[in-house]
Amino acid sequence: MTYDFRSVARMEWIKLRSLRSAWWLLVASMLSMVAMGIGIGLGYRGHTPVATADQIVNNSLGGAILAQLFVGALGILVVTGEYSSGTIRATVAAVPRRSLLLAAKACVYGGLAIGTGLAASLAGYLAGQLAIAGSPVPHASLGDTANLVPLLLTGVYLGVIGLIGVGLGALIRHSGGAIGALFAGLFVPMIVAGLFGEAGIPVGRFLPVLMLLNSISVTAPVPGMIPAWAATAVMVGYAAVALAIGGVTLSRRDV
Amino acid sequence: MIEVRELTKRYGSTIAVDRLSFTVGPGAVTGFLGPNGSGKSTTMRVILGLDAPSRGDALVGGRRYRDLPCPLREVGAVLEARAFHPGRTARAHLSALAAGNALPPSRVDDVLDQVGLTDAAGRRVGGFSLGMAQRLGIAAALLGDPGVLILDEPLNGLDPEGIRWLRELLRELARQGRVVLVSSHLINEMSVTADRLIVIGQGRLLAETTVADLSRRSATLEDAFLELTAAATDFRGSR
Repeated sequence: MTYDFRSVARMEWIKLRSLRSAWWLLVASMLSMVAMGIGIGLGYRGHTPVATADQIVNNSLGGAILAQLFVGALGILVVTGEYSSGTIRATVAAVPRRSLLLAAKACVYGGLAIGTGLAASLAGYLAGQLAIAGSPVPHASLGDTANLVPLLLTGVYLGVIGLIGVGLGALIRHSGGAIGALFAGLFVPMIVAGLFGEAGIPVGRFLPVLMLLNSISVTAPVPGMIPAWAATAVMVGYAAVALAIGGVTLSRRDV
Repeated sequence: MIEVRELTKRYGSTIAVDRLSFTVGPGAVTGFLGPNGSGKSTTMRVILGLDAPSRGDALVGGRRYRDLPCPLREVGAVLEARAFHPGRTARAHLSALAAGNALPPSRVDDVLDQVGLTDAAGRRVGGFSLGMAQRLGIAAALLGDPGVLILDEPLNGLDPEGIRWLRELLRELARQGRVVLVSSHLINEMSVTADRLIVIGQGRLLAETTVADLSRRSATLEDAFLELTAAATDFRGSR
């Protein structure tokens, strides 16, 4: 008998599902998107001129800006919670191959985070559509790929933010520090790029939140931004870098 | 068998363990003694692969801990009393560890029963007393029915009944032919629990002996221990 990816992934799944705080954070991310969808839909109901279907879709996925904080924070806590409680030593004693450990953590939480992200995106979209029901605003069908793709990619974006959280957690080890770093990393470069206006676009087009709001979660990218698929690939790249750095530091440091 | 060979561990400029060598064999409870800050916990962490040695090595059954194919089946460890997420139940904590090493889930109930926590299995660990937390740590150590047990100050927080229970458990585990290494600063407790002793001070080996031999050096085991460690104690009050 030996431990392998499967057994370690099972361990991580049991740990994840046995914490109530995990479920609360995932519910919070769903609620953020539902609230935004409802708010946008209601806001546009009496709007003149009558809103387009695209406008509703584009904006009703905007709750992801808040949802990403919950999903990202949970990704961090999946790792840092082990350090603050001391469980990390029992975990590493059971699984001394630490890169395998982090890979299992990332797969288990990443899967849950992408699933939650997709469900939250769908919920945000449905909330938006429900809130415009009976108004002159046209319904946006998911049969139309232009509507379906932003919904799917927004879900993937949320899952990827969760993975960045796992990597940051392994690197920084302290919940507060890692959550601060994630939030600062998401918003500070965006604000700085914004100060430069048009001149900030060459950098801004690669910043997560700007990619989310102007490319990933909308039916057509804002001029100057990279396409949604490319933006998603950049996000996956960020997560891969965060996990690789987290994995190397976890393997090298004493726990 | 645990073999520590020329082990040195530095944290920055501090030397926690200094060319320490000893072996711990099966069939006896080996007490690991030393004043506060003498390097007991560091040595145990290196044996368990949690800290990397600066020099030398520590082997369990002839292998480095990291190379063990199924660690919990070979080594069980208790390092600190409260190393559990407070929001998780005792059962969930043990189930996760068992799953990690592909141990049969029935082992969780076995060890809960063995440490007397069956009735508290569904409670969240945050509400556990220190004694219950120690019992949960010991349950985790026994999960894989390992041949080697490493316990760092497992008596802390146990009431007299718990101390007697643990003493008898450790002696029984040793009688079954297991390797049992127990660190403690409670000399008198070690005199009734342990057979062999490893005494360290300032990260160096001071004695590798038996309780009987060390006791013979002075009026009591405590006196003998204090004489032995007198030169290697960092903090001492005046008389």
